[in-house]
This record gives sequence, C-alpha cells and structure tokens, in this order.
Amino acid sequence: MAILEVNHIEKQFGHTKVLKDVSFSLDQGHALAIIGSSGSGKTTLLRCLNFLETPDKGEIIVKGERIYKAGETKMSDSELLQKRLHFGMVFQAFHLFPQYTALTNVTLAHKLSALKKPETKANRKEVFDKINARGLELLDQMGLADRAYHYPHQLSGGQQQRVAIARALALQPDILCFDEPTSALDPELTGEVLKVIRGLAEKKTTMIIVTHEMAFARDVADEIVFMDGGIIVEQGPARQVIENPQQERTKAFLSRYSEG
Amino acid sequence: MLWSVTVQLLGGLWTTFRIFIFTLLFSLPIGLVLGIASRSKFKLLRSILHIFIWIIRGTPLMLQLIIIFYGPGLWLGHNIWSGNEAGRITATVVAFTINYSCYFSVIFRGGIESVPVGQREAGEVLGLTKWEIFWNITLLQMIKRIVPPMSNEIITLVKDTSLARIIAAYELTFSGYSFMKSAGITWPLFYTGVFYLIFVGVLTILFNLIEKKLDYFK
Ligand SMILES: Nc1ncnc2c1ncn2[C@@H]1O[C@H](COP(=O)(O)OP(=O)(O)O)[C@@H](O)[C@H]1O
Ligand SMILES: [Mg+2]
Repeated sequence: MAILEVNHIEKQFGHTKVLKDVSFSLDQGHALAIIGSSGSGKTTLLRCLNFLETPDKGEIIVKGERIYKAGETKMSDSELLQKRLHFGMVFQAFHLFPQYTALTNVTLAHKLSALKKPETKANRKEVFDKINARGLELLDQMGLADRAYHYPHQLSGGQQQRVAIARALALQPDILCFDEPTSALDPELTGEVLKVIRGLAEKKTTMIIVTHEMAFARDVADEIVFMDGGIIVEQGPARQVIENPQQERTKAFLSRYSEG
Repeated sequence: MLWSVTVQLLGGLWTTFRIFIFTLLFSLPIGLVLGIASRSKFKLLRSILHIFIWIIRGTPLMLQLIIIFYGPGLWLGHNIWSGNEAGRITATVVAFTINYSCYFSVIFRGGIESVPVGQREAGEVLGLTKWEIFWNITLLQMIKRIVPPMSNEIITLVKDTSLARIIAAYELTFSGYSFMKSAGITWPLFYTGVFYLIFVGVLTILFNLIEKKLDYFK
C-alpha cells in the first residue's frame, strides 16, 4: 500500500517553473532514490514535502490522509507542525545545532514537545532520562556511541551527518528524506554515511534519497525517479532504471555519470 | 586635596554611571526591535528606518545632544527638561538612547542575519514553533556573534558620556576639568583618566568572560 502519494505538484519561483506536474508514489518500507542533474528540482521537491516550500499546485497524501492540497484554506501553525512530522529531513549541509552536543541535537525536539505535556511537569527527570536513553540508542545505531557528548565542531563531516540522521529518526517520521547526504563530504567519508542509510533500508525504513551515487541508488533503492528540468522523465525499479533506461535523457544522464 | 578630588570625581562617576546604565537599559531593547523591524517585509517601514539610522549614525552625537536639549525649549517656548541636574541627565539619556539604539540595531540585524537559514529550517522540519526555534536555536548563536561588536560599542558609550559636559551635566570629565578651571591644577585630569580606565577595564573583563563562556561551540 502506498504510504505516500504525491500528485501533480507544481512550484514556481518568480517566473521560473521549478517543478512541473510531478507525481509519484511510495510504498511503506520502500526506498526511493531521486537522481538527476543539478538544477532539476530535486531539492525543491523534498522541501515541498517538508513544507519548507509551499507547492503552487497539487496534493500530498500520507497514509490515505490528504495533508496538503494547493489552494485550500491555509492551515493553522499547529496543524502545519503536526503534518510536518510525517516527514524527516536530512540536509546536504547537516545543519546540526552548534551549541548542543550530539545527544542534545538528537533529543531537543523530543524534549521540547514533552515539556508541552502537563504530565511531564511532575516527573520531568524521568521523562528526560527516557528520551536521553532513546537518543543514545539511536547514536549507538549510527556507530556514534562514544561521540554522544561531543559538539558538532568536534566531529568529522561523516559523523555530523550521522548525528543529523539520528536527529531525524528520533521523531520517528513516516518518511525520511535525504537531500544529497554525502555531497558535502570528503570522498573517504561518504562510505560511513551510505552504510548507515543502507542499514536503514535493510530495516525497511521508508525513505526518499536524492543522490548522485548511482551504484548506491541501484543497490539500495527499490525504485528510482529520474528528474530533469522539473519533470519526472523516468521512474521504475531501481536496477531497471540504472541498467536499462528507456528514455534518451536518462541514458544521456547516466552515461555522463559512468564516464565521470 | 587628593581626598576632596576623589570625592568630587566619585560624584561625577556616579552621574556617568547613571547615563551609561540608563542608556543601555533603553537602547538595547529598542535596538533589538529596530533591528528586527529593519528586516521587515514592509518596504516603507524598512526605508524609513534605514533613512533614520543613516541620519543618526551620520551626524555627531554631540550635535544630537544639543538639539535634544535646547531644541524643545526653542520650538515650544518652554523647556521640557527641568533645569536641574536630573533634567540634564534625562536629556542626555534620551539623546544617547536614540543614538545608541541605531548603532545596536545594526549589530542586532547583523547578528540575526549571521545565523544560517539552515539552522531555522532544521528546527522547522523537527516540528519546532517559531518561538522555540528563536529561543533554543537562534538566540545563543546570535549572541555569540554580537558580543565582540557589542562590547566595542558599549565601551565607546562609556567614553561618550563625557559629551554630556556640553549641556553642563556634572559627569566625570566635567568634574576633573573643574579643578583645572578653578585651581589651575592638571593632575586631576589624569586621575579622571584612571577612573575611565577602571570602568572600561571592568567591562572588558566582563566581556572577555562572556566570550570565553561561548567559546565552547563554533
Ligand atoms: N528559493 C529559490 N528562489 C529562486 N529560485 C530557486 C529557489 N530554490 C531553487 N531555485 C531554482 O530552482 C531550480 C531547481 O533547484 P533545486 O531544486 O535546488 O535543484 P536540484 O536540487 O535538483 O539541484 C534551480 O534552477 C534553482 O536555481
Ligand atoms: Mg539540490
């Protein structure tokens, strides 16, 4: 069953149409890779899903519930906050909070939302201990158990990105989005991040991964979407799109990658 | 002699200190509001603020002080500042507050803009409210970046208080100068300098402490 349906999304900045009628769906437990050259609208698409941008047209349906439809009455701030939590986001440039330790980065959102519940007041320490334990577990899962109390500037890029992944996972989103998670890393550090994402795929985490790592997309994703100029040119099973692309533009794009 | 000079300088220091503290008390929050407002979506508001800030930063504080103190009396026909010491200090604080709010607003705006958008967005996708993002994420990063320019400006304020002499407020410099005028001795002027150095020294130590405290992150 499709956990996510994206229908006819369009987005325009000024006079440039960045997304033109983008539709796709994603099944629970599947990983979808989005490939395409720079400027094709991949980041904008992820930002629309996370409500960092408002699509001009189209709708977004998660678990059968339509969480967004363009042109409908504006949602309240609290509704927006709720709907956002269907998605998690891992940014290309990590965006960890520099003033907090790795553990606090992972647990901050959870703690702030716990503080809003009246029942937290009475046994705040207990609640926070639980949240911390869960945060440590996540960091351990990312291979960072010994880095929990380090600040971001004390961590390598690969470690920072793994903290960012733990932070996104902490709120247990239905769908986890990655925007070129290894593009800001030195080549020798991409492996450790890809390994973590591969592990998540093996655990059937529902994911959308924008990436330029073609071999990784082929091996880890279930489906691949190839975008060009704001439209989806081709989509299909991962292996098929990479090894046997049907569209000329996909072939041209992939051949540029295999040469490079 | 030393004793009577000290007593008189301490009196001047007290006035200097009151001008300093009240100016800070008013101009820091007003500066923050102006700094936020100068990034407003409304072009008219932005333009008005930019012009106002340009005028205030582009003209001497002493000129502004003279206009604020004498202007109302000449325009309205009666002095809105009472003629006593308190009135002079009030006028000084008003002029200084207008001036320093503008300088602080520029620093605040720079601080706000220096925090990368990605920080706010990372908070948004975690479902934090605008207020939670400001309070838990942006604020400390902003403070860290504005401490050095702020401390410069605040130390300048200490020395700018001596401008109040122009409207005959008995601040520290006025006190030191009065001995030269009345008794023809100059050493109280150097002694006055020592008072300023101690004042500024204490502030410098304080700001260094804050900077050290915020050194733990980048
Ligand atoms: N906030 C924005 N304002 C104006 N143009 C934008 C904005 N964000 C992205 N764009 C433009 O939209 C196009 C697609 O960008 P993006 O989604 O970042 O592509 P990709 O992630 O595939 O490289 C680019 O031409 C980019 O310049
Ligand atoms: Mg991009």
